[in-house]
Amino acid sequence: MPGPVVNVLIDLAPGQRFRTATFDALAHAASACGMDAQIRAAPTDQIDEDFMSDIGDAVVAGPGTPYARPDRAEEVVRLARERGVPLVGT
Amino acid sequence: MLVEHARNLMGLGSAVHAEYGTGGTEIVSLLACSLDGEQITVSLAEESRLRRLHGSETVVEHTTCNYGLNPEWQHIAEEHGMAIAGIDETGEVRAIERTDHPFFVGTLYQPQLSSTPEQPHPIFVALLQAAAAT
Repeated sequence: MPGPVVNVLIDLAPGQRFRTATFDALAHAASACGMDAQIRAAPTDQIDEDFMSDIGDAVVAGPGTPYARPDRAEEVVRLARERGVPLVGT
Repeated sequence: MLVEHARNLMGLGSAVHAEYGTGGTEIVSLLACSLDGEQITVSLAEESRLRRLHGSETVVEHTTCNYGLNPEWQHIAEEHGMAIAGIDETGEVRAIERTDHPFFVGTLYQPQLSSTPEQPHPIFVALLQAAAAT
């Protein structure tokens, strides 16, 4: 059974220190929990209606602001709050 | 998170984050003294989820933040289901959480910077546990 889908709102480029640290921290946690978590990057300028219809099992509002589309990031935060989807913002 | 809270739950449609320019009510404002590259000691609120997660009254965390909750609007972090979970040594808010949600935590520091394979950060472990439980 696949583990939870975690969408990371992040606009930092692959390899950037804080992006790497965020994905590493989630991988550390998944390993500790024995979960096969599906950790996915969600650049804010790619957040569309399809994404908003299913924001995943958890959301991380990642570092590296300003976001390209803060309005869309804020909408995902609202959806997570209203739908009871676990969220961490750092 | 704070701007969303202010706009949609506090009815403060003019709420803005200072990082996105001027105009509006700056809920999140530029810190008088940048914390970028600093380590801070955060005191965790007695009844907070974060204190339960950490099992301690304080944590030392890395931060890269240049922005924080505007002290003039600090009260919004204690209304409409939001609670202050941690403050730093200056008394400014460094962590918030919702009390009406399975897991909704915001930090004005970067817990990912202290996570290791041997010691995963409790916030991310709790996030995944909450995700699996919902």
